Amino acid sequence: MKKKKRSSIRKNELKFAALMALPGLVALIVLVAGPLAYMVYNSAFSKSLAAPIPPRPVGFKNYIDLLKSDRFWNAFKNTMVIMGIGIPVQSFLGLLMAMLLSREFKGKRLIVALFLIPVMITPVVSGFQWKIIFHERFGPLNYILGFLGFNPNIPWLAKPSLALASILIMDTWQWTPFVALVLLAGLSSIPRQVYEAANVDGASSWQIFWRVTMPLLRPIFTLVVLLRIIFIFKIFDPVYILTGGGPGISTETLSVYTYYSGFKHFNVGRTAALAVLQLVIITIIAQLYMRFVMRRREEVQRS
Amino acid sequence: MTKEDMLRQIKIKERRRKILEVIRFILIFFILMLFMFPVYWTFIGAFKSMGEFYHYPPLFWPKQVDLNNFKRALFDYGGLKGLIDSLIVASLNTIIVIGLGVFLAYSMGRYRFGGDSLSFFVLSLLFAPPVIATIPLFLIFKNLRMLDTYQVLVLSYILFNLPFATWIIKGFFEDIPREIENAALLDGYSRFMAFWKYVLPLALPGIAVTALFVFIFSWNEFLFALIFTRSAVQTLPVTLAGMIGGHMIKWGELSALSLIAITPGILLALFFQRYLIRGLTFGAIKG
Repeated sequence: MKKKKRSSIRKNELKFAALMALPGLVALIVLVAGPLAYMVYNSAFSKSLAAPIPPRPVGFKNYIDLLKSDRFWNAFKNTMVIMGIGIPVQSFLGLLMAMLLSREFKGKRLIVALFLIPVMITPVVSGFQWKIIFHERFGPLNYILGFLGFNPNIPWLAKPSLALASILIMDTWQWTPFVALVLLAGLSSIPRQVYEAANVDGASSWQIFWRVTMPLLRPIFTLVVLLRIIFIFKIFDPVYILTGGGPGISTETLSVYTYYSGFKHFNVGRTAALAVLQLVIITIIAQLYMRFVMRRREEVQRS
Repeated sequence: MTKEDMLRQIKIKERRRKILEVIRFILIFFILMLFMFPVYWTFIGAFKSMGEFYHYPPLFWPKQVDLNNFKRALFDYGGLKGLIDSLIVASLNTIIVIGLGVFLAYSMGRYRFGGDSLSFFVLSLLFAPPVIATIPLFLIFKNLRMLDTYQVLVLSYILFNLPFATWIIKGFFEDIPREIENAALLDGYSRFMAFWKYVLPLALPGIAVTALFVFIFSWNEFLFALIFTRSAVQTLPVTLAGMIGGHMIKWGELSALSLIAITPGILLALFFQRYLIRGLTFGAIKG
């Protein structure tokens, strides 16, 4: 009798939860499942947006062509370079900034707010801002470099290797404050007693940093790195505006290449294959993230 | 050690601490200048004439403060249209997304509806690069004859904004103690009324900030707008990109319009910084 009643409450609960979730869920499924199925289906066809040639099935050819094309690996490499250099540099600078900001002082709130501006700016505008700053002849950057005695004629956006460096500089400007403020949140969550105990034990500040601060910051670092990987995978607007992927294809990232493949070369099949590949990668990252969040929740509950 | 020695030691330590403090402030100030520079450059750019842009050495402050660039950007280069269209798209999208997201978030947060698999689905959508959705959505919207309309942007932005809003609001609901609903249920309220009358008001500040976030994401969005709309609808980022595309870039007008475009984001940063880190880390850090 009692059991029956409880199960009817459970049923009632589930019905209520389902009704609440329904509208949003339907919207997501319509917007996602349809296009997703359509995309996977398209990835098995040779199809063009421009030419009136009927699509023909090609099986896995789009994927094979993609994995054999230099342009795909170029975009992959560029995305990896931005991650491989950008994330360590931003983490290091971010940690320095976080430590500078870790003590309370007057006006800290305003400074923190100002540091948040780069991430909140319209990405198209950040691209355009840096386009002026990097301008070879009239930009302030080369002028300042010349003023400091360096070569004042650096072709920031015209030379392939420098163009990729320019993208990295722009990305570092945009995201380092974010990294810093996340790490700052991590720093301030370390209990004061931990430091006091280390002090009593006679540890030097260097030892405290490496033996106490860093290990306790590790989960936050993991979070920052995961988030940055996700954001760099998405990076499109500022790159598109600053270099357009050029000169040549030297700064093409995966997102920019996908866009060109679809809306400049009108190659539906290849774009769909590209999209499926990226979806697979991001699903793996989301899995890692889920595991990370779960573990953190358990840790919080235990403590 | 005599008492004087100890006092001297303390004094030296105190002085060293003060010097370190000064160095800290100088460093913070220097870094702040570095990171504000691009924004400053856009700001003064909005008041520069064409000739002043092509001036060497570059001008580090404006010579005059007039609003000509703003006027031309708004009325001659489609800025006003961009502004209005951005407002329309971002507002409508925000209303729909929050309307759907609040209920989905409550269901997931309180009743664990869909369990881990639904959470994973929402997270994956949140993380996926929007560009991968462009081809199928473009073809579908084309067949529905919806390209270059307000609906196409309002609907397609749901794709990334609804997962975001749901995930963040879910966190806000989880922060509210379960006892509140239990008490309301014992008082004889229905599940829905317990949610509506007792839980929702408590979560309202969080929901409002989430709405501001969603608004800014729609406001800043460029890729979908670039692909799905052309001329009947043109949001600010597309207008801006169009001004860069020509062979003769109108830097002054571009700076002026950029300044208008970045204002909502900056206001959010200045007044809601407490929630910003929480939003940008998808709720992982509760600032």
